[in-house]
This record gives sequence, C-alpha cells and structure tokens, in this order.
Amino acid sequence: MNFKKIGVIGGGTMGQGIAEMLAAKGLDVLLVEETNDKLNHAYSMIEMSLDKQLEKWAITKAEKKLILSKIHKVTHFAELGTCDMVIETISEDLDAKKKVFKQLDQVCPSNIILASNTSTLSLTEIAGSTKYPERVIGMHFIYPVAKINLVEIIRGLKTSESTFEETKLFVEEVVDKHGIMVYESPGFVTSRIICLMINEALHVLGEGVATAEDIDDAMRIGYQFQYGPLEMADRFGLDSVLAALERMFREFGELKYRPSFVLKKMVRAGSLGVKTGEGFFKYDKDGDRV
Amino acid sequence: MKLLVINAGSSSLKYQLYDMTDESVLAKGLVERIGMDSSILNHKPTGKEEVTEVSEILEHTTAIRKVLDKLTDKEHGVLNSVEEIQAVGHRVVHGGEAFKGSALVTGDVKSEIRRLFDLAPLHNPPAILGINAAEKNMSGVPQVVAFDTAFHQTMDEKVYLYPIPKVLYKKHRVRRYGAHGTSHDYVSKVAAEYLNRPLEDLKIITCHIGNGASLTAVKDGKSMDTSMGLTPLEGLMMGTRSGDLDPAVVTFVMNKEELSISEVNSMLNKHSGLLAISGSSSDMRDITDGMAEGEPNSTLAFEMYEYRLRKYIGSYAAAMNGVDVIVFTAGVGENSVVVREKVCENLTYLGVEIDPELNKVRSGDPRRISTPNSKVEVLVIPTNEELMIARDTYRIVQENN
Repeated sequence: MNFKKIGVIGGGTMGQGIAEMLAAKGLDVLLVEETNDKLNHAYSMIEMSLDKQLEKWAITKAEKKLILSKIHKVTHFAELGTCDMVIETISEDLDAKKKVFKQLDQVCPSNIILASNTSTLSLTEIAGSTKYPERVIGMHFIYPVAKINLVEIIRGLKTSESTFEETKLFVEEVVDKHGIMVYESPGFVTSRIICLMINEALHVLGEGVATAEDIDDAMRIGYQFQYGPLEMADRFGLDSVLAALERMFREFGELKYRPSFVLKKMVRAGSLGVKTGEGFFKYDKDGDRV
Repeated sequence: MKLLVINAGSSSLKYQLYDMTDESVLAKGLVERIGMDSSILNHKPTGKEEVTEVSEILEHTTAIRKVLDKLTDKEHGVLNSVEEIQAVGHRVVHGGEAFKGSALVTGDVKSEIRRLFDLAPLHNPPAILGINAAEKNMSGVPQVVAFDTAFHQTMDEKVYLYPIPKVLYKKHRVRRYGAHGTSHDYVSKVAAEYLNRPLEDLKIITCHIGNGASLTAVKDGKSMDTSMGLTPLEGLMMGTRSGDLDPAVVTFVMNKEELSISEVNSMLNKHSGLLAISGSSSDMRDITDGMAEGEPNSTLAFEMYEYRLRKYIGSYAAAMNGVDVIVFTAGVGENSVVVREKVCENLTYLGVEIDPELNKVRSGDPRRISTPNSKVEVLVIPTNEELMIARDTYRIVQENN
C-alpha cells in the first residue's frame, strides 16, 4: 500500500496531534468531526500548536503553511472512501467506537486498514462490529504525538498477519516511529504500567507519606522521568486516568487496579488537570506549570 | 557525446542535457512535487518553446521516464531517441572521505554512498533514488557521480580535524568536509583561464555566496581550506543559517529554552542568519533595500554579514600567506554590488582596489571588477556546477571506454 491519504476520526487532543504529525510527514489528512464547529475548533488548535512550534524555532512559517494545507476538514464519513488508511481517535467509549467502525466498514474498500487509537478498549470487540475484522488493528499513539516516537500496535483476535505487517511498515517507515507489537489485553503495555504507577503515587499521597511536589521530584529526578506521576496524571486528564483504571479493575478483577479515592474525589470536584487549569498542580492556558 | 546531468532532491529533480562536442545545453528542466498526484514538469528545450505539464509522478523512476519522454517528444524534444544519451552525471552532496573526485557508478560506489546516509541524511538518499531511476530507464548507459565534498578532500589533516577528542573522528568520522566543491573548483579554474595564468601559481579565495555560503582558499589549484565543516552550518553567516558561533551557545540555549535536538537544529539552520537579525527576510536583495531605506535591523544584518565574510577572507589570506585573486560567485556574489563593494572597501591592507563602475556592470560572463593598480585581482565569475559535472562525466566515461 502506498500511504498518501489518511482519515483521522475525532478532533480531540489525540486526533489533533495525529493529524498534525501525519501532515508534517507529508501525508494528506482528512480530519473528521461531527459538526463544523468542532472541526474548526480542532483546526484552530492545530494552528495554535504549530504556532507554538514556530515560536520554539522547530518549524518555519512556510512549513506551518504546508502542514495546514495538508489537513482537510470533513464532516461526512462517505468522503473517507478514498483514504489509504483510517485512524479512529474518538473518546474511549466502546459503543461509540463500534458505531464508527461499522460505518467505516461500509465506506472503505475491504483492503483498507481501519485502526483505533484506543488505549484500553478491546480491539476484538471493536472489530466485531465489522464484516472484515481482519483489517482492524490498534495503533496507540502517546501524547504529545509529535514528540513521542512510540506506537503500540495491537492485534485483535482476528487481525490478519498482512494487516499487522502493513501497519508496522506504516508506523516505522512512513511516520518514522518505533512500533511495539502488543497482543490484546486491557491497557496493553503503556497504559497498564503507567496508570498503576500513577495510582500508587496517589496512594502515597493519600497516606501522607510525601507531598505531591516531592513525590514528583522523587520520580522525575530519581528515575529520569520527564514528568512525575502526578503531573503526568494532570496532563493525561484525571478523568481519563480514572476511566482507564476502572476499566482495568473491572477486566482483571484485581485490587491493585482499584482507583485511589483521591483520584475519585478530584474528578468529582471537576479538577481534571491541565485541561481545567488545576489538578495536583496549577497550569496556565498554554499548559505550562504555574 | 550527449549526456544528461541530474540533480535529484527528495521531491524534485533538475536536469540538463549537454552536447559535449561544444558543451552546449540542448535542454534543461525541473520536476517538482514528486510523490504527489499533481507533480509539475517544466521543460526548456534550447531554441524551442518551453512546456509545463502537471501529472501524477509518484517516484523518481517515473520522473526520469517523463523527462526522457519530453527529450524525445516530437514537438518539444531535442533527441530522436533515448539511445543518443551516452552517459548520465549525478550530483551527490556527500562523498565522505571515500571520494576524492567524481566516480563511475558501480555497485561498490552505490553502497559507499548509502554508507554516507548518516552524514547527509537529507541529501544522499535522493541521489541514490536518482541513480537507480536512471539505471531503470537507461540500462547499460554509464553513470558518473560528482560530489560536493570531493574538491575539499585535498585539505590537510591539520585543517580538517576539529580539536575535540579524536575518538569521535575514529568512531563517527566527525571532521570538516566542506561543500559547494564543484562550484569552488569550477570558478577557480575559470579565474585562471580568464587571467591567462597557470592555476598552480595562484592563491585564490573563492566566495560562493548564495542562500548557503562558503569560502575556499585555493592554492596550487587545490582546496586548502573551506569554511563549511561537518555540515553546511559552519562558517559564514548565511540567509537562514548562523554560521560560526561558540558551540556552548547550543547547549546553553537548549537548556534555557528546553529545546530538543531537532528544534535546535531547525533554529540554527532555518531561523538564524540574515533572517534572524533583520527579522524580516533571508534574501540579500531585501536586506540591501532595507539598508538603503535606513531600516536599522536590515542595516545591522548586512553589517554582520559583511564583517564575517571579510574576516574569513583575511584569515584565508593568512592561511595561504597572501592572495592573488578573490572570486565572487553564486546568487549574492554574482549580483550584489553592495556586498562586493563593502567587503572590498576594507581590504585595502591586502592591496585590493575595486573599480566602482566595473563593479556595477551586470553580465552573465566572467569579469574583473578591480582596478589595473590593484595588487589583488577581484573577479565575478558566474558558477556552473552542471557544466562541471558534465565535464567530469565526459572525461570519466571516455577514460573507461
């Protein structure tokens, strides 16, 4: 497959990041949202992200223009019929994802790979909503997409060998990231390990062992993490961390996945991290620590 | 002998068809946006109407096939058949230490160019695409590669090594390679011809100043020193490149601004130089226009550019213990009257004296801009890298026949 045009469904944080990264690699992107308002919002967020990179000298004005010109706004699934691959990045809602894949299955020719950027959901179950489950695969990018060069490639039960090989080629040759192969399991490798670490940090905080600042310093300075576990949770969104832990707790049934009460309280209070300006730490509107 | 010179970029391909009996250009052109469904082929046959065609060209093999179609086209062509092309010459950016001159393409030569991908990750891969594409379209036709670095392989160890741990040279071949070699080589030869003096008797400083810029000290017809280093970032201040700076600036800024390696690379290569200081343009024409209007940032950008260029000329005069000829070439060197004037104005200690009227002459031919009294000949010589590649290709193919 010659990958030239890629569909990206969902213009949230991950959708924006994936669309921007693909366009920066020279691919044409059809970015899909339900309404024009949501599309325009996603597009302006991508513009803002590019402006930030321009400020940091990472790209030039001409490069910014070129990247934006590669992203095309689309509100109808029917237009995805010409794509060489489609990546779904809507919120982590199994039923909604199944609905999307069912529609994609009808629009895209049966040789076109349909990928989901899910971080915890069952690929096999998502694929179950399609007539050609062998072409459904997981491609889990990590935030911020442009900077993190890792992709988890997740095989569902029925994902074919050729779908996996093509996806691996896409990840490693076309978007130039490191791909790891993962078999279906809740949370795969990345979310499972990182969410457990965040949860443990929350227990440490809840037990009054150390302050949030000191817990983060311990891991950041002591083990060379770029962010400590609590800031990491703020950046993922505390609601997302909670949802992921709850899903893993349900699936595995093991106590170690049970979300800490600190996390539940914060989410109930609406302190969701960077996106609300406050979580364990405070942030300005650019997402920088205050 | 008719031969095709190719300069392949990642998504573009420039070509010129030469008739070597009189070194005339039969046709030239450019394919842009390779890899897209709306690629543009612009073909200029000598003496015929130029033609532009938009079509889907997904890779270099198709691009060359389309070029050959145009060259043999009934209406726009200049050849009866593709078989008339007896050799192909390619421009390759990095020849590392392996290539001290142009070379006939063989399996070994190709794998050596591939080994050098590490040193020129953006520029060498397309060259291989171009070579393979030519091979597929013109099987059996000999191909020659000419390297931008080859001319500078005559530099002495004391010149090309950096004073840093030697293990870095042994492990990663970190050293100075230079660039624009084909151009420095060409203009120094033309300079000797123009002056009707043996190249071996001359100490020449060649200033290739375009968007990228480098200086070379040419002694006995050989490159003794050149201003670009491991990459084309070292040396002069350029359109968007910083040129020389304290290497500690890099780590200091990376730390203060939390920049990644790719960000700091982009900053030094694309956001520095004239563009950074003027705040408005990387083009010398805009800078000199701004300076004429008294705009302070353009003026400062120009002054820094000129100062750094002049210091390099002084250092190369010291390196060669004298200078007989200074040559200006490439976009800025061939066209900017002001740059040449200001640089030469403060080189009187070397005995440089330029004639302001001669300096103002615009022409496509080699010309002298110094006065008869000047101790140093100052020349403007339009560069022609394609012709140089064509000559090398012709010579090497003849030698191998």
